[in-house]
Amino acid sequence: MKFSRRTTAGTIAIAGAAAFALLASGCSSSGSAAGTADDPITLTVTTFGTMGLDDLYKQYEEENPGIKIEATNIDTGGNAKTDWQTKQAAGAGLPDVQAVEEGWLSAVMQVSDQFTDLSDYGAKDIADQWVDWKVKQATDANGRIIGYGTDIGPEGLCYNRDLFQAAGLPTDRDEVAALFGGDDATWADYFKVGEQYHAATGKPWYDQSGFIWNAMVNQQPEGYYTADGELNIEDNAKLKELWGELAGGAAAGLSSGQTQWDWGKGKAFTDGSFATFVCPGWMLGVVKGQVEAAGGDASSGWDFANVFPGGPANWGGTFLTVPTSSKHPKEAAALAQWLTEAKQQAAAFTVAGTFPSNIEAQSDPAVTGTNELSTFFNDAPLGSILAERSKGVVAQFKGPDDSVIQEQVFGPSALSLDSGTDGQTAWNNAIDLLNQLVVNK
Amino acid sequence: MTATITPPVKTPATDAPPPPRAFGMTFRQRLNKADVKYSPYVYIAPFFVLFGLVGLFPLGYTFVVSLNDWNLLSGPGEWVGLDNFATELTDPFFWNSLFNTVSIFFLSAVPQLIAAVAIAAVLDQNLRAKTFWRMSVLIPYVVTPVAVTLIFSSAFSEKYGLINNILQAVHLGPVDWMTDVFPSHIAIATMVNWRWTGYNALILLAAMQAVPRDIHESAALDGAGQFRRFFSITLPSIRPTMIFVIITATIGGLQIFTEPKLFNPTVSTPGGNDRQYQTTVLYLWDLAFNRQSFGRASAVAWLLFLVIVLFGVLNFLISRRIASTEARVAKKRSTRALARSRAEAELTSGFVPGVSPELAEAHHPTAPTAPSTPATPSAPEENR
Repeated sequence: MKFSRRTTAGTIAIAGAAAFALLASGCSSSGSAAGTADDPITLTVTTFGTMGLDDLYKQYEEENPGIKIEATNIDTGGNAKTDWQTKQAAGAGLPDVQAVEEGWLSAVMQVSDQFTDLSDYGAKDIADQWVDWKVKQATDANGRIIGYGTDIGPEGLCYNRDLFQAAGLPTDRDEVAALFGGDDATWADYFKVGEQYHAATGKPWYDQSGFIWNAMVNQQPEGYYTADGELNIEDNAKLKELWGELAGGAAAGLSSGQTQWDWGKGKAFTDGSFATFVCPGWMLGVVKGQVEAAGGDASSGWDFANVFPGGPANWGGTFLTVPTSSKHPKEAAALAQWLTEAKQQAAAFTVAGTFPSNIEAQSDPAVTGTNELSTFFNDAPLGSILAERSKGVVAQFKGPDDSVIQEQVFGPSALSLDSGTDGQTAWNNAIDLLNQLVVNK
Repeated sequence: MTATITPPVKTPATDAPPPPRAFGMTFRQRLNKADVKYSPYVYIAPFFVLFGLVGLFPLGYTFVVSLNDWNLLSGPGEWVGLDNFATELTDPFFWNSLFNTVSIFFLSAVPQLIAAVAIAAVLDQNLRAKTFWRMSVLIPYVVTPVAVTLIFSSAFSEKYGLINNILQAVHLGPVDWMTDVFPSHIAIATMVNWRWTGYNALILLAAMQAVPRDIHESAALDGAGQFRRFFSITLPSIRPTMIFVIITATIGGLQIFTEPKLFNPTVSTPGGNDRQYQTTVLYLWDLAFNRQSFGRASAVAWLLFLVIVLFGVLNFLISRRIASTEARVAKKRSTRALARSRAEAELTSGFVPGVSPELAEAHHPTAPTAPSTPATPSAPEENR
């Protein structure tokens, strides 16, 4: 009884304050109704990295005079995650539109009820504009769609023509794709060709084990968790088998043991340290940047083949979500929807190289045409290859501790493979860490 | 005249007992009294109110969180009492982080304070372009720790770093600065030292300048050399500042976060692949923001708080003891010297010199200054 009375008092106070606010603002009924040019609704947007949306905000503001956009861009996805988590935990400060990276989508899914179901704003009617697995990734256990897809990271294989030639391997990108088995390419094929290369040149085949493992796990129908959300690693025969292949590759000297995200400030890309590299769409820009940092250019010989061992794989990608704390969910959802339409995704691609998840945008001339990046990769039709590579990707269930397992459990073990630890020991170490960090927490 | 004779006090005394003084005060008087009594508290209140809001309340709240199974995102779960503390005290990673923290702390605090004292002593001399030198030692402190870490981690990089290049140039093997436990601790301690040595040196310099010059002069007249004066006059005199610097260095040193966090951003486990340089604060951050165990992270925060208090008290006791033993020894020495000279005087003249100040003066020209600075050599000849 007491409780309800207090609530009433509170409600009255709020109502009073609202009435006062109405009076103060000269009875302009902002809030529920759409904003006008004189009294616009301000939408806050938080993004990270380079998403190429800045010009689009301006365009949207011009086309919708009632909307003002206040955008915040955080430097990296990792920092954006910390930012989001802090605000989510505090229950305050979240923007109207929050960009969410695929890597921490599992954390978001734990509190998916804190995000607006975009189906209320027509998400289901437009769902077929995206590649199907992108929508599945953004759908929570209760079938609510909480995010609109922006970019995706379908993986292809980067390879170095000059090094392939020196080893007597084919250099044409279609022949290279066929070399690995085309659509049926397996990791066994990949390591087998690697051994040929190693035998011919004595050089490592790939940069380090971590990225390979990442791709291997992500392309399975079920990864560290079963589809029902059960942790499934220790007795997971598929993962163990893949780990064995990876360890075999490292033991055969196929890994160059590079420091990931460093590569000797790019030097490893130009001095022939390795001949192949797993390349999600966004990684192409990274490769170019690394090569240039080391003083190389298009003549460094990197090319991009329409093939990926073990089947289609995706790494990364972003969603635009609308937290329920937003005061203008309708307007926020409309903005998120507009930003992920074909035209806008194609525009973002030209600015930031983010490969569109929107099917129509994937065949947009801006995406398929030549640009600086495709020139660098020996005029490879990057857009078309990536569109091919995005077909058949599976939306794997990600459990709450997925990123911890990937980074802290298997990260150190994959690294230890490169420095000579044998596969079984490394696997056992990973299981020990798993029990310490995840199982017995 | 009559008026003074008639006792007017009698009338009220017979009617009623005189009321207590306070009741007789006017409102203004009472206000005045209250002003004197309470307003000082009001003046200092803002600090305590703020401290309560941003210091005490979070401390208490953290404790409440630590008693729950609290997920960072989905919020409080079950009430688990002290379970989180028990889990942490048996978690090898917690102890590992504590070991790393203490190791880095010792590697940074000890050399840092020694260097700071030395630098301060040099700056205390009559140098040319004094302000320039003083400002230069503070420059590292102005640079943000993030920038410091970026530069140093590039210098300490294993394959292409400056330091390993130099080591190899002089035919020494490269050191795995980011992989091995001890080298990584040294690398991180170096960053901390680079940043804080100058700051501490300036604080110590300020204290050194407050040491009266005449003590130095009279000691110099007695023939005490530079080093003797430094150890016997300067160090004991700056003891309170020394304690302050040591305690702030302890608090800061046990909370190192930025340096290990950014030391090697390419690894996915905060604090190195084998957590070889994961400090306790970094471990706490990892627990809260990567593993989302807000409850356990809060328990770690409290444990760290207790550890810091422990270290602070320990340091206080040790640093007080070091300085006061010196003083005690000096005091003992001067009383011994006095007794000996008295005995000598007795032998030669039959007088007790203590009774005759002139005589004592003759033997010990520096005697008057000795009591004010216990560590001053009481008699120059005793030193040799």
